[in-house]
Amino acid sequence: MKHLRAVNHKARRIQEQIENDVVALQGPPAAGQRPHVPMGCAIVFSPGWEVDSSGGTAGLCQPVERDLYDCYISCYWPAQVPDHMNNYPDWTAKCAAATKDWRNVDLVFP
Amino acid sequence: MKILFAMTAAAMTTAAQGTLFVGTWPRTIQVVDEAKQKVVDHIELQTGVSHSMQISDDYKTIYASTIEKNGIEVIDVATRKVTNAFVLDEGGKKMRFSAWAPDPSGKLIYMIMRPIEKKIDRFEVGKTQFAVVDLAQKKIVKFVDMPGGEDAAMGGGRGGSLRFSPDGKYLYRMGGTITIYDTSDFKVVDTIELSQPRFSGMQTVNLGQQLDGLQEPGMLVSLFNSSDPVIHKQIFGIARFDLDKRTFHFTPIGPAVPSMQGLYITPDRKTGYTVTTSGTPGNKRSEFWVIDVPTGKVMRTQEFDGRARYTFGMSSTGKDLYIYGAGYDIEVYDPATLKLRSTIDLEADQTTGMIVVPGK
Repeated sequence: MKHLRAVNHKARRIQEQIENDVVALQGPPAAGQRPHVPMGCAIVFSPGWEVDSSGGTAGLCQPVERDLYDCYISCYWPAQVPDHMNNYPDWTAKCAAATKDWRNVDLVFP
Repeated sequence: MKILFAMTAAAMTTAAQGTLFVGTWPRTIQVVDEAKQKVVDHIELQTGVSHSMQISDDYKTIYASTIEKNGIEVIDVATRKVTNAFVLDEGGKKMRFSAWAPDPSGKLIYMIMRPIEKKIDRFEVGKTQFAVVDLAQKKIVKFVDMPGGEDAAMGGGRGGSLRFSPDGKYLYRMGGTITIYDTSDFKVVDTIELSQPRFSGMQTVNLGQQLDGLQEPGMLVSLFNSSDPVIHKQIFGIARFDLDKRTFHFTPIGPAVPSMQGLYITPDRKTGYTVTTSGTPGNKRSEFWVIDVPTGKVMRTQEFDGRARYTFGMSSTGKDLYIYGAGYDIEVYDPATLKLRSTIDLEADQTTGMIVVPGK
């Protein structure tokens, strides 16, 4: 995450909030402490923040492509997937099963 | 003659099997023949990605909601054709709905909705309301404020689930409590305060998020969690809620587990199957539980390789158990051995739960 820098007030506030407050655990959290995923998954514009509810990655779908479209459908993860609703409705037109056909997902240059 | 008999028997067996309808990416509902365990047809939706589906009580009509523009599509099960499709969004106004249910007449859809309007400098989030959609007019014909305030809509996380009484006079909202509305004026007829000890020996009863496959007309049979009022020990059990008489009967089964999916009961109503999950997401344990329905006892448990995220289902005959969701395939388990028997490749990622239509 060192390649990202906060450049405005809002980003700096987010930075302050997540400072020294991020944990990633594969096992059960210690009593009284829960993993803190900063700001949820929906507005963090940074691939790599995809973590499960325990703060780890072992609870994610395997392979992760299995969950690609759910980022849009139920999780509404607009930072991580192209904007299917307005600007890129056809970005997956040639890819129905992401695990098999992920090479057919369109490149999107916002 | 033996061959002819065998062929006839095979045909009868095939005819008894049903059909699965599963919404997939991007805008398709896959039709799967349970006997062949293959996709046999596709239904292309007109308004977007399917998000959820419901079926009429007579199994003749499927209703699908789509997500991009909050659309509704009506599908005729026999012909597998879309007979009606429209969107609820109006320009920059998103009519986002969560819980919804078609009424028994098949003419209206009742939903819990929260409009979100895009203004020039902001999004304005409206209040949560009941909305009534007329399928013939293809639009919302009535908004009704939630009786008891907006917070009343938030049961079950996303507004709970909606069910109608068989005569369509009452609407049931299943959330943290069960609220019963008169559909003519949306007045609250009755509220079953599940957090109050209305039932002997029970302090809390929570309806699971996922309502189970319908097993009896006019009857909601589901798994409930409960705790006793003395030592607050969590237990789960089978509850039967009569949608006509508004009576509630609970049969405790055993200690509650952290996560439990829906209860599916075989056609002879003797055996129930559910799936439990325990442990942390990265190290969780998934198990099938087999329940003897008449006695309410867990007869058997069996661990299986659960996906990170999945949904549990059962075939129309009770001869197959399905694990599906988060991916392109349906895993078919043998209910006798509880072992993986085969997989059904949908060739597209699933976006909805499964509708199981029994064979004729």
